[in-house]
Amino acid sequence: MTVRETLLDPLISKNPVTLQVLGICSALAITNSLKTALIMSLSLTSVLAFSNVCISMIRNHLPNSVRIIVQMTIIATGVIVVDELLKAFAPDTAKTLSVFVGLIVTNCIVLGRAEAFAVQNNVARSFLDGIGNGLGYSLVLIIVASIRELFGAGTLLGVEILPLLQNGGWYAPIQLMLLPPSAFFIIGFMIWIIRSWKTEQVEQPDFERVEIEEAGENA
Amino acid sequence: MTKDSPQKALLVVFTVALLCSVLVSVASISLKPIQLRNQLVERSRNIVSLSGLVPVGKDLSDDEILAAVEQLDVRVVDIDSGEFTTTIDPSDFDARVAINDPALSVAIAPADDLARIGRRARFAVVYLVWQGDELKRIIVPIHGQAMWSTLYGYLALEADRATIAAVSFYEQTETAGLGDQIQRPDWQALWQGRKLFDSQGVVRFRVAAGAVVAGSAAARHQVDGLTGATITGDAVTRLIEYWFGANGYAVFLDTLQKQPPVKMINKESAQT
Repeated sequence: MTVRETLLDPLISKNPVTLQVLGICSALAITNSLKTALIMSLSLTSVLAFSNVCISMIRNHLPNSVRIIVQMTIIATGVIVVDELLKAFAPDTAKTLSVFVGLIVTNCIVLGRAEAFAVQNNVARSFLDGIGNGLGYSLVLIIVASIRELFGAGTLLGVEILPLLQNGGWYAPIQLMLLPPSAFFIIGFMIWIIRSWKTEQVEQPDFERVEIEEAGENA
Repeated sequence: MTKDSPQKALLVVFTVALLCSVLVSVASISLKPIQLRNQLVERSRNIVSLSGLVPVGKDLSDDEILAAVEQLDVRVVDIDSGEFTTTIDPSDFDARVAINDPALSVAIAPADDLARIGRRARFAVVYLVWQGDELKRIIVPIHGQAMWSTLYGYLALEADRATIAAVSFYEQTETAGLGDQIQRPDWQALWQGRKLFDSQGVVRFRVAAGAVVAGSAAARHQVDGLTGATITGDAVTRLIEYWFGANGYAVFLDTLQKQPPVKMINKESAQT
């Protein structure tokens, strides 16, 4: 894999959210405004880059018996540091994100990349892979959050884009957009669109289709 | 020592744990002052907004907020006697810490414990808002257990000591989208002008089940309920009943009437 592939493949063709369907929980929960989505993206990308680098550094000393728990310790450390930084420098957003920053620990993307990539590749590569996958996650979050904030509140980053009825405009916000189920639909549509375009992403059916003859007529 | 030997595993685990704990400690301790200041600013922002001194919707910077809160007449009240006390410095007193100190707090009898808080501090930090020499508002802290979390807030009373001027809940972790609506500014705005007490001095304020029936006898004591947040709403009703009942600020509010407070000249204006 070239450097370019490591960094850019996770954006669409190997996107952790739409292809592997990982990290969905936070993508549903914190995408009702673009600002929180951006901060969450930044947090996850930094944790991912940090954990990939650290795990890659010790990959040749990592005993198999305690591999996962050591990885989790490193990931949790990164998350705590990010959480403390947010509480200090972005207290309002930290409050909105509440538990979801802490829950980056359990975000499958982070442990997934550590296991799938960082334990086998050198530090520089792992760093790029972390950034790439972080950007892939961020891309999905930003698209979902933009749609939800624009149609749910008529704003983007808090700036009014669609003139709201309550302020004398014409746009009546769709309240559903601010509730988590709307993110489910949007991500669903995104996966549909991407897989119609890149058909190699379509999963093979788990079972074979068998035609059954109608037996009822003669009996 | 091979890669998978137990010694190696222990060594790796201990080294990683040590390095990680150092990292976490450094981050936590070095950022603590900034985080504490953020909390102070947030609490102050609430108090300043309840004081009615700043126009609604005006955004003040952190420094302006801290300066504005300095201007307020802050006092410590002995809740049981209802008198102001000068033996405690308001800036040192934290009711949440005081709960753990038997000398500074009292247990609440289960039958009286409407707010479900178990113990309360004997003292409270209150703010008096003056306009000229006239007392405009009294801001008191309130808290109580709701569905998932303890709600912390402030309630501002008009000078008549019975009409709600404003309320704010600044800390809660109720269900997102349901119970956490108690932080909605438009809902909190409904509280303005509601009467806490009936003519006998009994706390009558409540969060209604559903919308308040306009024009009904109870309407002056009620605000609309929040859809899907009955438990949180009931908890708010009970904590108000507790804090303004005989166990809470009733004695203090009585004392205020009998001995109207005198404006204290604060440090800033004394110097200028």
